[in-house]
Amino acid sequence: MEDIKYVFDVKKDDFVRAGETSSKVKKILRELGIDSSIIRKISIAAYEAEMNIVIHSTGGQIVLEITPGIIRITANDRGPGIADVELAMKEGYSTATDKVREMGFGAGMGLPNMKRCSDRLYVTSSEGTGTLIVIEVDLKAGEQGE
Amino acid sequence: MNKMKEKYFHSVVLDADRCVGCTSCLKVCPTEAIRLKEGKACIIGEKCIDCGECIRICPNHAKNAVTDSKDILKKYKYTIAIPSLVLYGQFRGNVGINEMLTAVRKIGFDEIFEASAGTEIITNVIKNHILKNPEKKRPIINSSCPAALRLIQIRFPELLPNIADIETPVEIAARLAKAEAVRRTGFSMEEIGVIYISPCTARMTSVKHPIGIKKSYIDGVLSMKDVYGMMLRNLGSNTEDLTRSTKESLLWPIIGGQGKPLGIKNYLAVDGIHEVIKILEEIEMDKLEGLEFFEGMACVGGCVGGPLTIENPFIARRRMKTLAKGLPDSNPSDEEIKGQIEMYKSGFIRLTEAIEPKAVMRLDDDICKSIKKMEKIKEMLKDLPGIDCGVCGAPTCKAFAEDIVKGENRNAVCIVKTMKSFNKEKPQS
Repeated sequence: MEDIKYVFDVKKDDFVRAGETSSKVKKILRELGIDSSIIRKISIAAYEAEMNIVIHSTGGQIVLEITPGIIRITANDRGPGIADVELAMKEGYSTATDKVREMGFGAGMGLPNMKRCSDRLYVTSSEGTGTLIVIEVDLKAGEQGE
Repeated sequence: MNKMKEKYFHSVVLDADRCVGCTSCLKVCPTEAIRLKEGKACIIGEKCIDCGECIRICPNHAKNAVTDSKDILKKYKYTIAIPSLVLYGQFRGNVGINEMLTAVRKIGFDEIFEASAGTEIITNVIKNHILKNPEKKRPIINSSCPAALRLIQIRFPELLPNIADIETPVEIAARLAKAEAVRRTGFSMEEIGVIYISPCTARMTSVKHPIGIKKSYIDGVLSMKDVYGMMLRNLGSNTEDLTRSTKESLLWPIIGGQGKPLGIKNYLAVDGIHEVIKILEEIEMDKLEGLEFFEGMACVGGCVGGPLTIENPFIARRRMKTLAKGLPDSNPSDEEIKGQIEMYKSGFIRLTEAIEPKAVMRLDDDICKSIKKMEKIKEMLKDLPGIDCGVCGAPTCKAFAEDIVKGENRNAVCIVKTMKSFNKEKPQS
């Protein structure tokens, strides 16, 4: 099987390292020769997922899986979970504290951006235990860079 | 081999006799384009962006730039010098612009044409035309730094549509100078030689292999380092009135000098190739909302920090700011601006050719093979020390693994790993 998997730990409240995982994801995809517009979509989605873990959870993991047909980002966190997923999908809805918003985060665009940048988005969450987000982007034939 | 050289012409070259294999350049190269082979630094042609970081860091001055020699003047019946504006910041003491330009002319040029003609036009066209186009992708990125352009081609292909499709000051000046000289002197285009005096290695490469245009109007490039010495001897006598520069044009090659005169609030000016990379990452991820214009310059301080300059960039910058105070403000009339926009629309000063992405970072053209290679690299990395010492000849352990998986640099050996296994085998005493 030609597929490859990377696991990255993401820490809660670590704003200095925030963004590191999505940068690594981007670099890996570039080396694999994925089309640059797909790289951009995946890295934006991965960044949003990463920031969600940093801001809202008590820590978690981001897993990158690549097969010749699909790229999958799985963000798995421990934390409060999302009470109302449908509401969280709305642009501008956020439970981030004022302090976090002052820093320019928590604008309520996380999940909507992930949706915009993916072909499929699955969000499963249960209050008190955590959230599982799966982001998938298809690699259609002929869409690899030249 | 010669064909390969032609394909990847670079102005940055190595003097193998001087290279001691110290690994300094491996570490600073922003595209990981240098490897040590048999103890000497080698540049990987397809990855090099000619930024000159390696020239600057090399303690043994083994890295250098290929430029033309003064003999190139003999090839032409009429010669025009375009000195980079940065030249004005290279002399300490109270040397005026006219004195410097006269000294350049006395090297043997028939005419001096200032690059400021180009900076004025670029500012006017971006401000009054390109920024007014809502279709143009934001932020608009300056096209003036050839090393940054090559960096975008290699690492940020998604941002290629953001580049302002206008020529650089020197190229515009070269076009204007040549057209004017043909009219005035009666010589043909081929008989007139336009020679640029450059602080920049990447510009040298761009003259031979232009980006965004078919052919450069610049016929030769002299290194500012070489010209400096020739000028020193000519300073001080019979100064001619040559300069037409304005305050804005003198500040243009200093970081911020391109964004500020556009009269917009949302611009960002960043200097130093590694910082430029960080900001381009942010732009690529849509993290800088509302940014209208991004000015990214590979050298610290902007062109004043070019690898072929003599003076420290901070001192040169102060000197240029002082000189700028004595110059008039730029005050273009509506008619002039209109004419310049027409010149842009006609293609005369525009980047008319597409700037293509260059996928040199990829492991393989076939994604399945790429994934297999990546898996191998991942496996190898588990076994490597991860200290990125550079002794194997690659800048990082990851680059070492990549080279081996790609089948390049087959003879490279990890010394640290070898030592460790040797220590393990040693019998306990």
